[in-house]
Amino acid sequence: MSSEFEISKRITIGQYVPTGSFIHRLDPRVKVFAFTILVLAIALNTSYIGNTIGLVLSLYLFWVSKIPIRYGLSGIIPAIPFIVILAVLQLLFQGQLFSHGKVYVDYGFILITSESIRLVVVSAVRFVEIIFLSSVLTLATSTTELTHSIQSLLSPLKKIKFPVHEISLITTIAIRFVPTFAIEMEKMMKAQASRGADFGTGGWWRIIQRTKETFPIIIPLFNIALSRAEDLILAMESRCYTPGGERSSYTTYQIAAKDYLALVTGLLFAILLFAYPFPI
Amino acid sequence: MAGRPIIEIENLSHTYMKGTPMEHVALKGANLFVEEGECVAIIGHTGSGKSTLIQHFNGLMRPESGKVLIDGEDLSNKKVNLKTLRQKVGLVFQNPEDQIFEKIIGDDIAYGPFKLGLPLKEVRERVKWAMSVVGLDFEGMIDRQTFALSGGQKRKVALAGILALKPKILVLDEPTAGLDPRSRNELLDNIKRLNKEEKLTVIFVSHNMEEVALLADRVYVMADGTDVLNGTPKEIFTDKEKLQRYHIGTPESVQVLYRLTDLGYEVKTDAFSITEAANEIIKVLACKKECSKHVQRI
Repeated sequence: MSSEFEISKRITIGQYVPTGSFIHRLDPRVKVFAFTILVLAIALNTSYIGNTIGLVLSLYLFWVSKIPIRYGLSGIIPAIPFIVILAVLQLLFQGQLFSHGKVYVDYGFILITSESIRLVVVSAVRFVEIIFLSSVLTLATSTTELTHSIQSLLSPLKKIKFPVHEISLITTIAIRFVPTFAIEMEKMMKAQASRGADFGTGGWWRIIQRTKETFPIIIPLFNIALSRAEDLILAMESRCYTPGGERSSYTTYQIAAKDYLALVTGLLFAILLFAYPFPI
Repeated sequence: MAGRPIIEIENLSHTYMKGTPMEHVALKGANLFVEEGECVAIIGHTGSGKSTLIQHFNGLMRPESGKVLIDGEDLSNKKVNLKTLRQKVGLVFQNPEDQIFEKIIGDDIAYGPFKLGLPLKEVRERVKWAMSVVGLDFEGMIDRQTFALSGGQKRKVALAGILALKPKILVLDEPTAGLDPRSRNELLDNIKRLNKEEKLTVIFVSHNMEEVALLADRVYVMADGTDVLNGTPKEIFTDKEKLQRYHIGTPESVQVLYRLTDLGYEVKTDAFSITEAANEIIKVLACKKECSKHVQRI
């Protein structure tokens, strides 16, 4: 603990860690596609063995991308409360839906069976796997690459008049400004603390007091966000940005052998997790 | 002005984002000593650790290693009362007008004093005093809307918001950045008056060497996370070799005097205040005939 205000340290989304690894150098379109099908396959897999494979795979991907595993692990810390609450709720109230399997506890409306325990464990592990996978993807892909690939993967939707370009632009801007606003917020917290503000004092049940405490930060942040948005509009327009205009791209991607390799590996794992009948 | 030491920093180090791939060393072994009532400037390039250093003064950052003593209190002690400390050390961030959040000027300045738990009457007194110090008319301005103010006025309000805490030490991070010349001069006058008349200890970070020459009793030069040089503005700005080594600019007045010496005129290069420099130039003009002969000889 060096500073109570180091917020930007805790946010790993939108942080690109350039290590130049194999994963970094993959074609971003392939990367996004492979990660998407892997996440889908994991989301649909309900077996213990399958999810263990998924967990090992996602940790292995940290190693391949040369990103320190400890840094990746720090990304799940903010999610832990959600995982725990979800697990407790599922354990207590989902039993009725999974009444097949061995019954362990049957007390009033609480029914705990081997199947509901499986649900609890698998969904917690699944959550962690998905956080790991999306961390590897965002830590190893710059935001520009991400946008390019999302745009090109969604481009078939243009046929049904889906605003692909607008959506990808909005996403990029949103992701791009996460670290910026984290820094602004840090600065604002420090500035207000310097004139006597305190944050997070009083119990969580004193909602009104705690909401009032955030005003000195939220209001200036809105101001800053609006003036930044104005600057951004000017900067874009002065570079001739026209909404709906056709744009060419500075970087064009060429799918190479290594990309096919990654794609096939991703597909194989996805098929394995999705279709293989694991015993447990 | 040999007073009692009010800020003592010894061998202070700080690393940002420790334990992540973005780790970045901001301070390594920095030292700084400030005596009560002094006006000290901290100069140095972007990334030399100035901002990190000043955030240690009021406990926004705790010493990772090294010693920070503020008014005799050791900040590595976890039990230090941060509220009292932050009241004692008023820290004005860069672009402080961003931190204004109340609708009305008076409310915004009163935010700090209210947070200190002071009675209404005392708060009102302090707001009045702070507004008069920064040159805002109490009766006419106190109920004005904050969003309709000019940049210079907003900065005055923000500064008053800190002064209303009645700090002993005032710390300013680039106080004049982005201000028009008139607001700039007013602000500098205010700071000078606070230091000389209200006896506040003032520490400010600046990139503007004229300001440094005008205000500071002593100057600290930071480079690569540590203090490399300190002395009076006279000592710093006349040390040509070190100025070049640490890429420090000089006030324009000093630049003119150096150019004159380079041309062979005999001027004192330590006369960097505008009036002193002007006197030197007048001297040159007065003896122009002789001196130009002298130049031709060279």
